[in-house]
Amino acid sequence: MVKNRFLSVVMALVLMAFFTSGQLFSQKASATSSSKQTSLILATTTSTQDTGLLDVLIPMFEKENNVKVKTIAVGTGQALALGQKGEADVLLVHAPQSEQPLVDSKDVINRKRVMYNDFILVGPSSNPAHLSGSDIKTAFKKMYTAKKTFVSRGDDSGTDKKEKSIWQSLNIKPSGASYISTGQGMGATLQIAAQKKAYVLTDRGTFLSQKKKLGGMKIIIEGGKDLMNIYHVMQVNPAKHKMINSKDAKKFVDFMVSKKTQTIIGNFGKKEYGQALFIKYTE
Amino acid sequence: MNLLVDGLLKALAMLRSGDNEIITIATLTAKVSLTSIFFSTLLGLPLGMVLGLSKFKGRRLLLTFINLGMGLPPVVAGLWITLLLWRSGPLGQFSLLYTPTAIIMAQFIVSLPIIVGLTCSTFQQISDKLLLQIKALGATRTQTLFILLKETKIGIFAAIIAGLGRIIAEVGAAMMVGGNIQGDTRILTTSIVMEVSKGNFDIALALSFILMSAAFLITGSITFLQQRKRNA
Amino acid sequence: MNTLLKLNEVKLQIEKKIILNIPDLQIVQGEFLGVMGPNGAGKSTLLKLLAFLECHSSGVLSYLGKELSASTISLETRRKFSIALQQSLLLDGTVFQNIALGLKLRKVPKKEIKKKVDYWMETFKISHLAQKNALTLSGGEAQRVNLARAMAVGPDILFLDEPFSALDFPTKIKLMEDFKHIAAKSNTTTVFVSHDLAEIRYLTTTLAIMLDGQIKQSGLTSDVLEHPNLDTASFLNEWKKFY
Repeated sequence: MVKNRFLSVVMALVLMAFFTSGQLFSQKASATSSSKQTSLILATTTSTQDTGLLDVLIPMFEKENNVKVKTIAVGTGQALALGQKGEADVLLVHAPQSEQPLVDSKDVINRKRVMYNDFILVGPSSNPAHLSGSDIKTAFKKMYTAKKTFVSRGDDSGTDKKEKSIWQSLNIKPSGASYISTGQGMGATLQIAAQKKAYVLTDRGTFLSQKKKLGGMKIIIEGGKDLMNIYHVMQVNPAKHKMINSKDAKKFVDFMVSKKTQTIIGNFGKKEYGQALFIKYTE
Repeated sequence: MNLLVDGLLKALAMLRSGDNEIITIATLTAKVSLTSIFFSTLLGLPLGMVLGLSKFKGRRLLLTFINLGMGLPPVVAGLWITLLLWRSGPLGQFSLLYTPTAIIMAQFIVSLPIIVGLTCSTFQQISDKLLLQIKALGATRTQTLFILLKETKIGIFAAIIAGLGRIIAEVGAAMMVGGNIQGDTRILTTSIVMEVSKGNFDIALALSFILMSAAFLITGSITFLQQRKRNA
Repeated sequence: MNTLLKLNEVKLQIEKKIILNIPDLQIVQGEFLGVMGPNGAGKSTLLKLLAFLECHSSGVLSYLGKELSASTISLETRRKFSIALQQSLLLDGTVFQNIALGLKLRKVPKKEIKKKVDYWMETFKISHLAQKNALTLSGGEAQRVNLARAMAVGPDILFLDEPFSALDFPTKIKLMEDFKHIAAKSNTTTVFVSHDLAEIRYLTTTLAIMLDGQIKQSGLTSDVLEHPNLDTASFLNEWKKFY
């Protein structure tokens, strides 16, 4: 009978949904009850996550401390905001100037320097603006006056902030057809730069990991002091916000600056790219 | 074109190798989507039915809001839920942000108006005469609803398919409230966004094929139910 | 004779407008009552009122001596009536399922449903359509299913609202002929609304002429038609112009 069959199908769907949702929740229940596993929210930037370094470090930390780390990879601005609002337990970011106000307001504590990688100016191998050397400011100025195309992330990320600060120090407000703002992540922005045969400021790590897909793009400017991209790890202050997992947050900070972790950081990427993506840099 | 072929091959390879990660992501996507659609159907069908059949003051205003809700941008829903679930928010104590439950909540909210709205318009099309006939056959209120549910099968399934489509397509809210956490809240759409931002277009493409195949399977089977031939 | 339905000063008023005004009407067991009148006379409304599907505004409407209205009637009592309209209004499903629906809603055991539905399909000569989807039937077939569905529940009173009007002439003749036999055999009390004199003459035993929400004349069908009062005569004359 059509009606009975119809009803049985509906029932089957209902049961299926119950089953899946039940499973979903029971799974979570068992995860919390059986092992008393705690969870730690780490706010970091997409570019940090994109390098793959965390994929190596986080599982180690989770195993050693029986913690479930929830890595929220967002823009620098949002990562800092999550810390400031007490929505994350620990931060791993690379915008020292923007981090300072949080330290001053005591929203974060126990801030430790972890490592650095560097920013580089990448461009088409034809190098239409004939840029060279290691001074990024000179290069920016020359490129801008020559009206050569530059691609900016324009997403308020750490890299974007770095770029904006260089323009600011030159007293230039970049605009016009030769200045393209993508509003996207580093990977996508690099792709766009490659398509447009334009210059782009990027972190070395992302460039190295993407290089194969960016035909004809090469490093134009590197090594200047202005181009250092320093990473800090810090705890969100449990005294200022509720529900902070400060115990595991402290463990995470200690973990990041520990000798063992630093060795891993120093070697990360060597095998795949021929050079390390990060340089250990503790205080 | 090469990229397309590469993506397709990669998708097949990923599935064949039983790549643990991809299986986890795909299963989670299915679980989350089906749970969301289950709950929004559970609540949306009766609501839509009542709205479609009854007449009361403020019904038009309510309908306006529901129709507005059909176009609710997922990121807006995501933002609201984020504010709600923040540790400092009203539901903060339950630690639901960055969990699959949060994604389910967001998907529930974006799909509910669609199910309510489309169910309502389906039920509004039922003629008064048919309602009279069913009542005259001796049906109770509940029996009437069941008869009508069966009678409007095509419209109801269309509502569910549309709701599910919204859920499957949704990414902004899932990203915001789920956090795209590996092995926990990473679903197919959020991983596609992530892989694109990393510049891994081939993986993103592969994932998109997997997503579309899954969507095809699910909507296909519902469509099959909807269109099941009338035995002549 | 046993009076089933009794109306006393029953009025239906919608926003000051009197739609129906029935000072006195009785429906007795075994009667085949025709209600005839022009469109808009209130025949269908009267039918809904009698079947307790619409509330009356004032007066007393009683069933088996008990005063009732659409809002106070119990499900059990409501289930003693059955209705078939001009549109067959069949549901998506087989012919069998459609005819079984009323019984199913009453939670009649499956075996009994099968027996009854088989009987009524046979009676209405539609057994061969049992497994056919009801929405694919021709107009005549659909109306047979509609009538069978209404009769399958074994109603105390059967209400019919122009059930033959939408059919083409040959189909209508055949169905009416069959239905006359079926009605006679089952002896179900029937209220039959129609504007068609031929249908009324052929099927009904008693007749009420309805104009402007009022019953102008009632009695045995033959009496009313042979000795029409002024109102009836003027309506019948109007009608004859077009025949």
